[in-house]
Amino acid sequence: MTQIKSASSTRNRSVRVASQPFVYGAVTLLCVLAAWFLATDVLHLVGSSFLPSPVTVIATLFGLTVQPFAGATLMGHLGLSLARWALGVGAGILLGVLLGIVLAWLPPVRAAVTPIFEVLRYIPPFAWVPIAVLWLGASMSAQALVVFIAAFPPCVINTQLGVSTVDPILTNAARTLGAPPMTILRRVVVPVAAPSIFTGARIAVSNGWMALVGAELIVGKEGLGFLIAQGQFNGDVAMIFVGIIVIGIVGTLIDFLIARAEVWTLPWKTDSK
Amino acid sequence: MNTTVIKTGAPMREADMNDATPKMEIRGVSKTYTTRKSETYALETTDLSIGTGEFVTIVGPSGCGKSTLMMIAAGLEEPSTGEILVDGSPAGPAGPKRSVVFQRFALFPSETVAQNIGFGLSVAHVSKVERTERIKEQLTLMGLEQFRNSYPKELSGGMQQRVAIARALIVRPEILLMDEPFAALDAQTRTVMQEEVSRLHRRMQSTVFFITHSVEEAVYLADRVVVMSKRPGRIKKEISIPHDAPWRTGDIEDAMTYGDFNELRKEIWDLVREEITTH
Ligand SMILES: Nc1ncnc2c1ncn2[C@@H]1O[C@H](COP(=O)(O)OP(=O)(O)OP(=O)(O)O)[C@@H](O)[C@H]1O
Ligand SMILES: [Mg+2]
Repeated sequence: MTQIKSASSTRNRSVRVASQPFVYGAVTLLCVLAAWFLATDVLHLVGSSFLPSPVTVIATLFGLTVQPFAGATLMGHLGLSLARWALGVGAGILLGVLLGIVLAWLPPVRAAVTPIFEVLRYIPPFAWVPIAVLWLGASMSAQALVVFIAAFPPCVINTQLGVSTVDPILTNAARTLGAPPMTILRRVVVPVAAPSIFTGARIAVSNGWMALVGAELIVGKEGLGFLIAQGQFNGDVAMIFVGIIVIGIVGTLIDFLIARAEVWTLPWKTDSK
Repeated sequence: MNTTVIKTGAPMREADMNDATPKMEIRGVSKTYTTRKSETYALETTDLSIGTGEFVTIVGPSGCGKSTLMMIAAGLEEPSTGEILVDGSPAGPAGPKRSVVFQRFALFPSETVAQNIGFGLSVAHVSKVERTERIKEQLTLMGLEQFRNSYPKELSGGMQQRVAIARALIVRPEILLMDEPFAALDAQTRTVMQEEVSRLHRRMQSTVFFITHSVEEAVYLADRVVVMSKRPGRIKKEISIPHDAPWRTGDIEDAMTYGDFNELRKEIWDLVREEITTH
């Protein structure tokens, strides 16, 4: 009982400690916004064609939420980007975790696959854009494939690492209690490797998001990257900034959500983060 | 209560001892560990038969291959030579027939105390009702009711060890392999657990193979004490303890008041000490 109590009080303390940097962060952010506002609207240090004022950017942002651009509102573009991202990252995590487990458990497969994997891993995702377009067309799936290519390797590597460092004494204990291999995997190996798997997933999520925007800048007719590319094409700097800001905010939110998901799903690792 | 158990238990054991097939037979087993850098000759060729319902304790210096022998007996480690027989046939892969309490507890960190204890029952698809009942029984026995929903890392070493013991006992194994199961317990809890294991063994007639560093514990619990030499381990001597030893019904503190007990203890302790001091 006392232990449980002390565990929760530690958690409260860490929340309090964490809120202080949050305040600092918010203050810094406000300062940047204020400086931006001063430099543009008040002091006119830079021309609006180089750096539009925050007011213009916000106005453009709200304009885009009601007025469709290239067939979709800002929400529409965001939704499409998220769908491509989710598809690529989802497939990357699913297949990456599966392959990671297989590689950790079956040394012959590991020996066979690792060289190919090592070579592929050093090809930047963007190098695949032309191939993806050639194979899948410049639609949803080409960008999703690029996201997948960015998300897959960190999942494989971290899962393999996590699974292969599970203490064999735990799998042995499960065996002596009569557990079949799939049960051992589900109840012992995956939970114990979960923190490492989550690390992989988190990297996959952010790598995937960056790869997505990059791919959208190059090809496609919708999405947040497309907005930025169009902003450049039309000399609409405010639209470029809208794209950048939305990308940054959504990326941060996604990372925050996956960090929360880790805490929710691993209650037995209370002090992990 | 205790005397009646002995009265019904003793003739059975006598009959089993005379039985031609031992419960478990370690036949010509040796072990050399090969790592990339070196080879460790851990265990010399060893033969040991354990009768049904027999309680065998093993003592020997640290690193002499006791855990190695147990891992092989459990089916978790391949012997370099030899084989393990259970009921006269090759034992095959590890399973709940041979339940193990590991030297390093080996609790599943992502499962609660109750889930850890019930693990063997849930993989055997024992009904939820019976499972709950038997988990509760173990929790009570081990004094862990309060911690049923705690995770292993929230427990002290002694409590973790009790969870590990409960997890091994709940499957009612025919053979129970225990590797220094009481090492992390405080003296009082250890005394209680020793009595408990002794009582359980008499009641369930399970066959027990028990490693310990404590010579008293070895003599107190055993039907037979096996002394091993230093590495590479080999069986140096086997000493049978009389079935009707008077200390069996009391606790270990009582046992030490018996002259016979202390003589056995001294004899075995001298055998172990030779292995520690000779170089
Ligand atoms: N997996 C392994 N790989 C290589 N060497 C090992 C391995 N396991 C044990 N050994 C070596 O084998 C020898 C016997 O080890 P073992 O754990 O069986 O001893 P022990 O009698 O149980 O010792 P203790 O009383 O300290 O628990 C030791 O020298 C040890 O270093
Ligand atoms: Mg040992």
